[in-house]
Amino acid sequence: MPETVQLMVTCLVDTFFPQVGEAMVKVLERAGVRVEFPAEQTCCGQPAFNAGLRREARPLAEHTIRVFEALPGKVIIPSGSCTVMLKYGYPELFADDSSWLERAIKLADRTFEFSEFLVDGLGVSDLGATWRGKVSYHSSCHLLRGLGVDRQPRLLLSNVKEAELIELPQAEDCCGFGGVFSVEHPEVSTEMLRRKIKNLETAQAATLVVCDTGCLMNIQGGLKRMRKPQRVVHLAEVLANQEKAG
Amino acid sequence: MTTGKFRERIRASIADEALQAALDGNAERRTQGRINAFASLPDHEVRRQRAHAIRTEVIDHLDEYLARFIKKVESNGIIVHRAEDADAAIKIFLEIAADHNAKLVAKSKSMVSEEINLNHALQAAGLQAVETDLGEYIVQLRGERPSHIITPAVHLRRHEVGALFQEKLGIPYTEDIPILTNTARKVLREVFLTADIGMSGVNFGVAESGTLCIVTNEGNGRMVTTVPKVHIALLGMERLLPRLDDLALFLSLLPRSATSQKLSVYTSLIHSPRRQGDLDGPGERHLILLDNGRSTLRGSNLQEALLCIRCGACLNACPVFREIGGHAYVGADGAPAPYPGPIGSVLSPGLFGSREYGQLAQASSLCGACRAVCPVDIDLPVLLLRVRAGAAREVEKEEGVGVPVSLKSGIRLFRGVAARPSLFGFLQRMAGVGSRLPPARENWMHLPAFSGWGLSKDLPRPAIRPFRSRWKSLKHENPQDLLKTEYSLPMDAILPTEGFDLTEKFMEELKALGGEGHVCRTVEIPALISSLLNARGIGKVMVDGNSAKLLAGSGLELVQSPDTSCRAGVTRATAGVADTGSLLVIGGPGELLSASLLGEVHIAILERGDLHASLAEVINTDHVRRAPAAVVISGPSRTADIEMTLTIGVHGPGELIVLLVDDSAPEMIK
Repeated sequence: MPETVQLMVTCLVDTFFPQVGEAMVKVLERAGVRVEFPAEQTCCGQPAFNAGLRREARPLAEHTIRVFEALPGKVIIPSGSCTVMLKYGYPELFADDSSWLERAIKLADRTFEFSEFLVDGLGVSDLGATWRGKVSYHSSCHLLRGLGVDRQPRLLLSNVKEAELIELPQAEDCCGFGGVFSVEHPEVSTEMLRRKIKNLETAQAATLVVCDTGCLMNIQGGLKRMRKPQRVVHLAEVLANQEKAG
Repeated sequence: MTTGKFRERIRASIADEALQAALDGNAERRTQGRINAFASLPDHEVRRQRAHAIRTEVIDHLDEYLARFIKKVESNGIIVHRAEDADAAIKIFLEIAADHNAKLVAKSKSMVSEEINLNHALQAAGLQAVETDLGEYIVQLRGERPSHIITPAVHLRRHEVGALFQEKLGIPYTEDIPILTNTARKVLREVFLTADIGMSGVNFGVAESGTLCIVTNEGNGRMVTTVPKVHIALLGMERLLPRLDDLALFLSLLPRSATSQKLSVYTSLIHSPRRQGDLDGPGERHLILLDNGRSTLRGSNLQEALLCIRCGACLNACPVFREIGGHAYVGADGAPAPYPGPIGSVLSPGLFGSREYGQLAQASSLCGACRAVCPVDIDLPVLLLRVRAGAAREVEKEEGVGVPVSLKSGIRLFRGVAARPSLFGFLQRMAGVGSRLPPARENWMHLPAFSGWGLSKDLPRPAIRPFRSRWKSLKHENPQDLLKTEYSLPMDAILPTEGFDLTEKFMEELKALGGEGHVCRTVEIPALISSLLNARGIGKVMVDGNSAKLLAGSGLELVQSPDTSCRAGVTRATAGVADTGSLLVIGGPGELLSASLLGEVHIAILERGDLHASLAEVINTDHVRRAPAAVVISGPSRTADIEMTLTIGVHGPGELIVLLVDDSAPEMIK
């Protein structure tokens, strides 16, 4: 019996980067997992939560818990940030409501970020993927410092054929996204992004790999505006890319 | 909510090239320095968690620890005052000053005094208060607040300090940092010697022993607590540790986090005023314990902020601080908040209210770099989120503190949509189509700058077919035979290195600090000291009782009291710490702390048998407990307050020479 997992695709992937969701399903299925997608899901509520609008975040958190608690298997998310929201944000949000808190913790315990699930959950380290050219990896803040996940995506990337891995200087520095922060403090966000792009140029990589589409949207958005050629992709897109055999 | 002034300050900071260069320099050096400093502490994560637990224990039972601490401090002979707020603390200070008919106050760095605006109040009362930490002195001359908890003048470049000293101190313009430092040294030396009151902050109060621990590098902290007749210490009431053993733990974390040092140059451990038979020290010591909102903070869900030990590491690690600097963290009135950076964005609204400072918590991408470097593992991202959610004073239940109304409305609208999956899906597709009217070739669109996002970034157009639409027709994949690798988790923290040779390690560390060491036999001491001093043209020295006996026939002129005409001092060291190259020098009958402080050269005599491996073995001892004041000295006095450039020899000695006495050692070659 293959393991069944629930895909929480995140509202950013769903709306802006559906190809990341498709790639993720491809990778998970190749790894022998049965993927289900509950169509009732929308947004985890993080934007409202991070803005301090907890009354607005609550209905979305409750909705997310209701959608996933009824379904079997682990919940897999292609985002460190949304995973942190489910695992740590929900318990904070429901701290004063014991029945919802209990439901939130139950969900948190079976929620995993995509690369973490592949490496630690399935024991997979090589997806047989190919990616040509110079590649750098940006450690997303919530993935790295919120979940402590860093070696997993790096391990997966290190086994991608034909990819020349180049360490991004200050890979662990924030790219300046921060959700509402990027809209509220655009000047500071801009400076942080400039620094990230400068480091990417120093690395001379054509592709920057991330595990969060928030960072992807931010860094790619800056590169587009500056008319720079580098491409930012989600790890799932890299791992899904295989040379057709024969 | 006036985010306007805050945004203005941010824009000004980003446009200020000198400031940007200063902030970049700070972030780069401090980040690397911190990494290097913690490399010598392999079990630092264990220590960090222990430090968190100890501070949590203290804050959870603060009343009990305070009672124990106060009782001990009083029985040691220090006069304790409790101040509910800034006004009360100032009143107490002024009363003490009036009792002594004081005119001049020499101050060493104290963020609590910034918090209560003490300088301003003293000035208004006709007292002159002079800051004696170099960085703090610079910002005082400029009429500014410190822009950083640890390095007050971190926002300035050397040319700005040069111009300032030219204007205020009348010296010819120079960018030479040692000259600038020496100029301040001369001016401030006069202040130390003539001040009626020495005022200091306190890094830690130790409940079991009543110890006031003060950590400085320049020596100004020692000066103000040793030279003037009266010492007043100002302490935030939450900064306590239960035991001296805990102090040793925290001293392994604080200097590494703050200034990338294993230990600061001077770790003062103060217990009492001058006692009968003591050769120096103030006759009267006062301790003012300040509440000023801490009790309120303690009961709130921002309580964890009280764990803070003010190391400033979160400022150095914060990417937002790096862009805007400490002075940009302003209140609603446009004046800089007393505490900048990530911890300040919690403390300022937590202590003084969200109406004034709530918007500061919005200036964070929640990247967590602050928490990662915090030596007591304060969950700063969560605390910032709580401030945003209205946890801080005055605004309870007002959510989204500091968020502009338009953004709030947008999020409310989004919530309304996202709570209805079918509406969400419908609007997603509408947005996909709508964003391509008229038809667009590019998938990324250019938004205007006022949208915030559009200032520097393009925005992706929503997909015409979102993932939820694609899912139904998704082509599924077959499982592949993938390579599975055993992945072993990283091993447990490496334990500290096996026992090193104490003498070798001590000498190596001392040298690294800029000190000089000689191994010699007892009989060789007088000749060796004479030759060291003769080589420097010094004939008159301050000595403690022990050294006076040793040097009786040496031909040197010996002075057993504080004497600024002596260019050197000789003292014994009660103990040495091999791991950090440090010396324990104590006060008390027959001892003379001034001899290790006032001259250009300090020669210390340390018995080989008194050398210990770590600070923990030296701090929790009767030598320390019984001393009216003691100091752990780690190298010659130093500062890096101008452009983080290391300058040796500030208020304390510029030369530290240790004679390590080992009578089994071979005779020195003459």
